[in-house]
Amino acid sequence: MKPALEFLIKDEKVYSGALSCRGCGWSLLVRHLASILGEDTVYVAPASCFSIISGPYPLQELKANLVHTVFAAAPATATGVRAALDRQGKKDTTVVILAGDGGTFDIGLQALSGAAARNENILYIVNNNGAYMNTGIQSSTATPYGAVTTTNPGAGFKRVWPKDLMGIIAAHNLPYAATASLAFLDDLRKKVEKAKHTQGFRLLMIDGPCPPGHKTDPAMSIHIGRLAVETRLFPLFEIERQHYTINYRPVKNIPVEECMKHQGRFKQLFQPENRHMIEEVQAHTDQYWLRLEMLEGM
Amino acid sequence: MLEIRGHARGGQGMVTAFEILAKIFSKLGNFQVQAFPAFGVERTGAPIQAFLRVAKKEILNRSNIYQPNLVVVFDESLLEQVPVFDGLRESGAVLINTERPVEAFAGLNRAAYTVPATRLSTDLGLGSKSLPIVNAAMIGALARIFEVSLEIVQQAIKENVPAKPEANMEAAAQALRSVSGPNGRNQYLIEALHAKPARATKKLEDLDFDIPAEITGLEAPSWSEPLSKNKTGNWRMITPTYDVRPAPCNSSCPAGTDVRGFVRLTSEKRFDEAYELINRFNPFPSICGRVCPNFCEQNCNRNELDRGLNIGAIERFLGDRAAAAAGEEPAEVRHEERVAIIGSGPAGLTAALRLCEKGYATTVFEALPYAGGMMRTGIPRFRLPDEVLGREIQRIEQRGVKIELNKKVSVESLAGRFEAIITATGSHIGSPLRIEGEEFARDGINFLREFKLDHDTDGLHKGQEVAIIGGGNTAIDVARTLLRLGAVPTIYYRRTIREMPAIPQEVKEALLEGVRIEFLSAPVALAPAGPAKVALTLIKMEMGEPDQSGRRRPIPVPGSEQIILVDRVIKAIGQRSDLFALGPQPVEPKQGYIELESGASVFCAGDMAWGGTVAEAIGSGNKVAEEVHAYLRGQPYHEEETLPEVVLPKDINYSYYLPMARHYNKLHHARSLAGDFSEVSKGMDEEEVVAETARCLHCGECFSCGNCYNFCPDAAIHVDEEGRLRIDYDYCKGCGICVQECPCSAMQFQLTEAVL
Amino acid sequence: MKKENSQNSITLEEPFLDSPRYPRHVQMVMKGNYAAAEAARLCRAGFIPAYPITPQTTIVERLSELVSEGKLDATYINMDSEHSVFAAAMGAAIGGERVFTATAGQGLFYAHEVLQAIAHFRLPMVVCNVGRPSIPWNIWSDQSDSLSQRDTGWIQFYGESSQEVLDTIIQAYMLTERVQIPVLVVLDAFYQSHTSENIWMPDQNLADRFLPPIQAGPMSIDMKQPKSFGGLLPPEYYNKMNYSFWKAMNQVEAIAEEIGIDFGAHFGRPYTNVEAVNIGPKTRLVLVTLSSITSTVRGVIRSYPEIGLLKLRLFKPFPREAVRRALAPLSQDAIIATVERNFLGDREGAIMQEMKRALYGLDYKMYDFFAGAGGKDVPPETIEKIIHRAFQHPEEANWVDVD
Repeated sequence: MKPALEFLIKDEKVYSGALSCRGCGWSLLVRHLASILGEDTVYVAPASCFSIISGPYPLQELKANLVHTVFAAAPATATGVRAALDRQGKKDTTVVILAGDGGTFDIGLQALSGAAARNENILYIVNNNGAYMNTGIQSSTATPYGAVTTTNPGAGFKRVWPKDLMGIIAAHNLPYAATASLAFLDDLRKKVEKAKHTQGFRLLMIDGPCPPGHKTDPAMSIHIGRLAVETRLFPLFEIERQHYTINYRPVKNIPVEECMKHQGRFKQLFQPENRHMIEEVQAHTDQYWLRLEMLEGM
Repeated sequence: MLEIRGHARGGQGMVTAFEILAKIFSKLGNFQVQAFPAFGVERTGAPIQAFLRVAKKEILNRSNIYQPNLVVVFDESLLEQVPVFDGLRESGAVLINTERPVEAFAGLNRAAYTVPATRLSTDLGLGSKSLPIVNAAMIGALARIFEVSLEIVQQAIKENVPAKPEANMEAAAQALRSVSGPNGRNQYLIEALHAKPARATKKLEDLDFDIPAEITGLEAPSWSEPLSKNKTGNWRMITPTYDVRPAPCNSSCPAGTDVRGFVRLTSEKRFDEAYELINRFNPFPSICGRVCPNFCEQNCNRNELDRGLNIGAIERFLGDRAAAAAGEEPAEVRHEERVAIIGSGPAGLTAALRLCEKGYATTVFEALPYAGGMMRTGIPRFRLPDEVLGREIQRIEQRGVKIELNKKVSVESLAGRFEAIITATGSHIGSPLRIEGEEFARDGINFLREFKLDHDTDGLHKGQEVAIIGGGNTAIDVARTLLRLGAVPTIYYRRTIREMPAIPQEVKEALLEGVRIEFLSAPVALAPAGPAKVALTLIKMEMGEPDQSGRRRPIPVPGSEQIILVDRVIKAIGQRSDLFALGPQPVEPKQGYIELESGASVFCAGDMAWGGTVAEAIGSGNKVAEEVHAYLRGQPYHEEETLPEVVLPKDINYSYYLPMARHYNKLHHARSLAGDFSEVSKGMDEEEVVAETARCLHCGECFSCGNCYNFCPDAAIHVDEEGRLRIDYDYCKGCGICVQECPCSAMQFQLTEAVL
Repeated sequence: MKKENSQNSITLEEPFLDSPRYPRHVQMVMKGNYAAAEAARLCRAGFIPAYPITPQTTIVERLSELVSEGKLDATYINMDSEHSVFAAAMGAAIGGERVFTATAGQGLFYAHEVLQAIAHFRLPMVVCNVGRPSIPWNIWSDQSDSLSQRDTGWIQFYGESSQEVLDTIIQAYMLTERVQIPVLVVLDAFYQSHTSENIWMPDQNLADRFLPPIQAGPMSIDMKQPKSFGGLLPPEYYNKMNYSFWKAMNQVEAIAEEIGIDFGAHFGRPYTNVEAVNIGPKTRLVLVTLSSITSTVRGVIRSYPEIGLLKLRLFKPFPREAVRRALAPLSQDAIIATVERNFLGDREGAIMQEMKRALYGLDYKMYDFFAGAGGKDVPPETIEKIIHRAFQHPEEANWVDVD
């Protein structure tokens, strides 16, 4: 094997020393994003773990401009940045939002929808780790069915389904939206590359590992991410305008519980009285996959 | 007022511990308490602080503690990373979670207490290696310093710790008993606890602070210093390292060949180096590449994914390629001692070569007119052409090994002329069937030898039917030889194809060529029938329960006997050794030094000691050479110590390997086999060989796939000047993703020094 | 007499009709909101995020027209909320653009979070607020919205007329880009926003000569020297940022005064942070006002030589020195009465709070008058009621016209 060919990051565009937890998806994601997007990029970050990870005064992780902004309005701030760059002739500079699921599914949804509907020339990255992790694991509308958080604690674990963000995004008729996983780096990098070179509003939703929040072993972050894709809990697909493409079809039919069992946040579902909820997750997952396949066939 | 400052890592439970302590103090003596963390933004594993104030009166200070009476260190590794003892009062005390004795902290000139809280906690399943949760143990240890009763502590833990209360209570109990340090309660701390606040003792005019002339402001909240100034390596509790573990191909090679190594070199087209690497273990790559059962391939972890690597073909390619190159230089004789080797098979020649390379004059005595032992006499030309064998023996001779042919010698006959003698005469005598009429069966190994050396066809002619008894390589080789002589061979084997000891590829080829094999069929008796025929009585077998060897035992089916008439019966059910060389006394041959009554320095190797394949004989030869060398140099000899754990399928992350079709040897299939003894297998060409090496999983050895680099969330892996992947421990937080995602188990986790 | 007075107050006098005083100006009749939009055009605002809200809407509508007609080279974007408007303004300001927008009432309340961020990011921009309350629904004139945002760190000007709004916006860009603190220019709903009145419109060259193009500051994106803008600022640094902000804010009063004089030199209309009318040793009562009420008071006090007026144009930072200077000629027993078109849920209105702060240590009789909030009209008669009450056993705070 020619080793050098396998090294996905040729030129590191982040500085080491990120203030992320062990096994964090955020810092790995940003390493890869930055390496593809390069220095001719302005990042806009609403409140999220990344606000902290990226470094306190006077330090910064990225070798590019990073604008921190209010929780609810990153797409608006990015709109302003984009407009300014365009006015200065910097049309090729990429404006990228780095947001969590709280800043996307919940408090930021209006601004996201606004910018998407305006088809702003912005790349929106949502690291979906399924809860408000920065504030200590509180439920968001991205929190999976059956998960425990500090605001859905113990027996009060979450019993409503998360929002279908990709469905909401698809409804905006955007040039490009896709899901990606850190366990499938080639696919992820291809999508970032594609998104980089697409004009208009693009959104990538990444399945974000979070060992403290998901109550997982940090070493298992990638392994669990891979299982999420293999079990179809987190399908990899692209939406271009109204066209769906499934990017990865698991060869085996691995049940969702194979992925869930590694995550302490789902522990309670494995008790006999709650097992039926795993079946519900399975049914929901199968249904979603079926729908994707139908959409793809349209 | 008592002021305690704690130092821990995020996630170890210190903040909870201080809160529980506050509750204990509050309950105990109606103390006023104040417990709080110094909230940073650091995450799990990062150094953090917590504070606890306890006083009889209202606590009128809500700031951090800068001059504690007691410092509590929850994690020993912090001692080197954080100034934990800053401001500690002169008569103050420290409590440290460590395995080290109290004396190690004598330099502090403070009352020091230690407790092995990490061990106690992890033994009880509290937290993980990467993050031991030591709070309950530390509470127990503090209770001991203040002489708080265990009952109260355990009650508080029970009320306040939701997860694993029993284990936490036990941790506190064990810690309380495991504290080393001054006996009894710490009087200074108790006094601090009860001390009354000073009143009206200060004078305003004594206040004296520097007032800065100018304040440096911050014009705007924008900044750009590199984050790499933040060394997150000190969050790490477990340290990943690159490691080399034995691959199953290597560990299963009886010759000890570094298979993984030569496959890698071949993949890089460094063929000369690959050949040299094989040669260090095995001087017969061209031969083994043809006739070895390939234990390496059988144990290849790729079998879990699709098929093992065609290692034999790679080895054969390298051996054949080297044949075209210049010969070997003779090795220099550096020792006076001479060594004799009886038998020129793979074991004898390997031993001779190794000793020759070590500087001994070595002479090999061969009874037959040709060197090579079983390689010469037992393997048909269509599997191993003479010139291939001759070539590899020649290279050994070029190194300086003398081979004396037609010399049937024994240990006695050589006595006095050599300082050491190795017997490696193989096993060339067929095993008996132990049935009635045994004498009417010809011995297979004998047949092969006679045919190869003397072209003795035993009077067989075209169309004659031959029954062959057995299921090993000899049976197959006999059958295929007979086919080429025009006879009609049928093999009778008492088990099924699954149990056949012959090399599967050879069985496959034999079947393709037209050899019939009757399974579950065992001979019962032989008798002459007419002038030239033999009557063979066979009985049907069925597979019973597995025997001690794990193979299912064949059981005769009563009444299923049947008699067939054949022209010849050849038995090939195993071989035994001729022990002539060891002298007249009965000796049990075994690997290495053999104790003889004569006291002669005699060693034994090869098939007569163990094994039965070329590769095993080579391994045996390598070993005996080491032993003889040690013996002659007066050094102790011991076999290599047990190796680290071999990489097994469970250690391989198959997600990173795609199925890839195995490359197969090209086969020569003549239209008519009669009289055609040309080699059947043509091996593989360079392109195929290199392509096949790309299928290697690189078990247990880094092949720079880049997973560790690609998946490191902390950008803590880099390539050093020598092109190797290395971990930058300034930034590695020890998440372990690199170890988990290493496809081939070439990384491992080690506890950091501090935790050890 | 009252009728006469009110007639006086709408009599147009100089400087509005004195054309030779304003060369390179065109005289027009224009609504306050349009004057604000034209000011943004004159200042060559580059980025305008917009969201409609009564009574501000005509500002963004007019700007939209100006952009689509090619009269203003700006990026105009219809945003999804005021929160997003201000967040976008923030982004473009960091991007180095001159930003303008306008809002009102609950729009400003909604943007509160972002106002705070923009100010502490030290971003230059000018925003117009047309004052109105929020809920229960009321769309009429009220200054509680902007006054409640006093502590977000923005500079605040209150304009008396369409002309003053236009002129103040031009000065505000000069100021904001010099001190790197955002400026809110406030006008009254309807009494200004929708009131057509005479205005002198300077030509573009004149404006360009006064206001140079925006320069990059410490909070501007520079693609060659990438930075982190506004990430985590730990405790040991936070007050350093506040300190610098404080120092800059302390200079605003003097710099604004200087810009007002410079503006006069360029355009012929000098401005001061406060304006004192008829304040002297014989003045028995000074009415303190913001925005449109000022004009009415001007009219009323013509009839009462013992009554003076203190108009506050700069409100935040509160022009303490100018106020003290303006009131210095007063006699010991003079009364100061503040006219509040706001209610902030406190014992006093915002003007009184600030006046007391500014006059700390001085012994004035000070009475607060709540009048005109929620769009309640403040005719000259109301001003006279205030004057009357100020001399007739006034309370610390008094409510006028609520019976």
